[in-house]
Amino acid sequence: MSQHQNSTAVGLDVGTSRIVIARRPEQDGSGDIQYHSQLNAFATIPYSKITAGVLEREHVPHTAIAGEIIVHGNESEKFAGLLDSEIRRPMSQGVLDPKEPESLRMMREILMSMLRLALPDQADCHKLCFTVPAAPLGAEGSLTYHEATVRQILGDLGYQAVAINEGLAVIYGELESSNYTGIGISCGGGLCNVCLAYLSVPVASFSIPKAGDFIDASAAAVTGERANRVRLSKEDSFHFNGFFADKMHQVIGVYYDDMIRSLVTALKDAFAKTKTIPQFQRPIPMVLSGGTTLPPGFRDRFEKLLWEQDFPISVSEIRMAQNPLHATAKGALVYAQSEL
Amino acid sequence: MPSQIPRLTPNFSATPRIERRASRIADPVERLRFLRRATSPPRTAESHRTRRRPAGRLARNAGWLALAAAIVLAPGPRPAGSAGTFKQERGLLAAAGPAASPETQTIAPVPERVWRVERSESSEAYSNGLHVDLTFQVSNRPRARYPIYSLAGASTAAKTSDAPAGIVFHTTESLLAPFEEDQNRRLKQLGRNLLEVIRQERAYHYLIDRFGRVFSVVAESDAANHAGYSVWAGTDGIYVNLNDSFLAVAFEAQTGAAEAVTPAQIAAGKALTEMLRFRYGIDAANCITHAQVSVNPRNMVIGEHYDWASDFPFAGMGLPDNYAIPLPSLYAFGFGYGAAFVHATGSRWQGLDLAEQQVAKQAALEGITTSQYRAMLRHRYQDITSARTSTESKEDESEGAAK
Repeated sequence: MSQHQNSTAVGLDVGTSRIVIARRPEQDGSGDIQYHSQLNAFATIPYSKITAGVLEREHVPHTAIAGEIIVHGNESEKFAGLLDSEIRRPMSQGVLDPKEPESLRMMREILMSMLRLALPDQADCHKLCFTVPAAPLGAEGSLTYHEATVRQILGDLGYQAVAINEGLAVIYGELESSNYTGIGISCGGGLCNVCLAYLSVPVASFSIPKAGDFIDASAAAVTGERANRVRLSKEDSFHFNGFFADKMHQVIGVYYDDMIRSLVTALKDAFAKTKTIPQFQRPIPMVLSGGTTLPPGFRDRFEKLLWEQDFPISVSEIRMAQNPLHATAKGALVYAQSEL
Repeated sequence: MPSQIPRLTPNFSATPRIERRASRIADPVERLRFLRRATSPPRTAESHRTRRRPAGRLARNAGWLALAAAIVLAPGPRPAGSAGTFKQERGLLAAAGPAASPETQTIAPVPERVWRVERSESSEAYSNGLHVDLTFQVSNRPRARYPIYSLAGASTAAKTSDAPAGIVFHTTESLLAPFEEDQNRRLKQLGRNLLEVIRQERAYHYLIDRFGRVFSVVAESDAANHAGYSVWAGTDGIYVNLNDSFLAVAFEAQTGAAEAVTPAQIAAGKALTEMLRFRYGIDAANCITHAQVSVNPRNMVIGEHYDWASDFPFAGMGLPDNYAIPLPSLYAFGFGYGAAFVHATGSRWQGLDLAEQQVAKQAALEGITTSQYRAMLRHRYQDITSARTSTESKEDESEGAAK
């Protein structure tokens, strides 16, 4: 690392499902990147002094409000399971959920507790780069509210915040070897985000609103299970080997296929329509990241469906990110460091 | 994504240079910082200045341009050196260079007899150990009969031929994975995807992948789209635009990359070069790199493509150091070159200096300045290319009428 980079740069992946912080531990910006990750979710439980005391003692992130305790982050899943209820989320489809009354407060609480834990010794001004989704295809409405709100929360917490597109962050995190030329794809909970960049310059980006949550909700509707249980089954044991152990996996497989097909079709259509795509001198790489890409065999299935299309750009390889869950946060960190 | 997409058009005007410089920066953050700076759009005020400048310069230099045009267009002496003189000088100059050492001279001549041992639908095996995979072979347009121009003088072809006269070595400039065992799957996947692209673009006759496997892509009977604007000269004369006259052999490699060509690639390249040289009687001096032949007719400078601008393993291919051969694009057609190209060559090619000397010497013999002499050479190149364009258009028209 160069001398003038320092640890005041922070990468923050604000995803529908998870929030990930990336930073380098050393003052000069060197050392292996450290990641801190929490579910971007919360669960409410009835207030009692005893419960509040236990949570405090166990360092479980929570907030007590009006006769309720709101547990947020990773622990929310456990409490939701105990109470047989769904976890709630501040975000939906990549942006703050307008239907969730606690979205703003919870987003602030989760970000504040995570940043305090991750950066306990740094109270001064930090350059922080946070991810925002690309506009969904066919609904290129404004994402300004979401971006401005997150920026304001981070500004209030003392950070100099800049935004970066999720797909571009994947490129900055993974495609150094091709001089940041290629296609970055992040398949998260709410959206699949895509960006095509040439020599670090974003040329085209978009998102589709089919991702992990779509699979969970669709499979839950068919099987009659809770979406959260579908998600756990999907994350624990689902894989693309053509044989499904049970009905749940078979249904998950159907909706995974639907999601991948939608993504591949969107990729083809979007790039075919983009008039500003430069003449690449060589085939370019494509990187897959995000929690929804984790099941074994995802890459092969995606590749097979992509090759079935007459894809308008020559692709040299389709590969998984080195760490699919952290690629976006890593790219945001690289971008923040480059801004210093 | 309003925050990141730039409003102004990014500056991609010098991307090969930017990419080369970026590739030398090890630190990912520094590399990103450099790329963002290098591709950032020009400021508006600067754009205005940039737009105004050519007009102002044109007006100021109108007198000089008129004089230059008069020199070029005036009926005057053509390059008068005889073909024999050129041949002799070319040979002498090349042989005089330190690179043409006795060691390399001994490996230059005719390759040993190489014959095909067996052939199946999917592969060929040769007596020198060469194995060629034919499963990706594809046809393109048949090789056209191509003109060969005299080394001096006329703009009309001295003769024509339809046999491959040489080999142009390329790099694919494609993405490379570290050559490690744990990267095996990725290495194979990259090579496979590359083959598909090359096949689709009919880019080369042969590809040698990282494992040294030789794939026939475009059939030898057909032209590959590998060296559009290009110039080379052999003892027979000058070849212009080498798609029809030269075979293309590409190494899965990047110029200047940390990942060098593998020993397996060099061994396979040597066996393939031997086979092709024997099959077509190709002169060792006609086995050259893309960087040596590539030209840009729009600005009349060489090095439109840089692949194998340096470090081509000529000795490994059983060839002399052909970087020492004076460049015909310079001494026969008056092309120039920039500092970036010289930089790309690593240690400056001896062939550049020898070609320069040849131009200076010939200009002195003509009794004119080197720039006047270069202008004449360029005029000849333009005559040749416009004649070829006109012939090709007529052929296209007659083919269209026949259909």
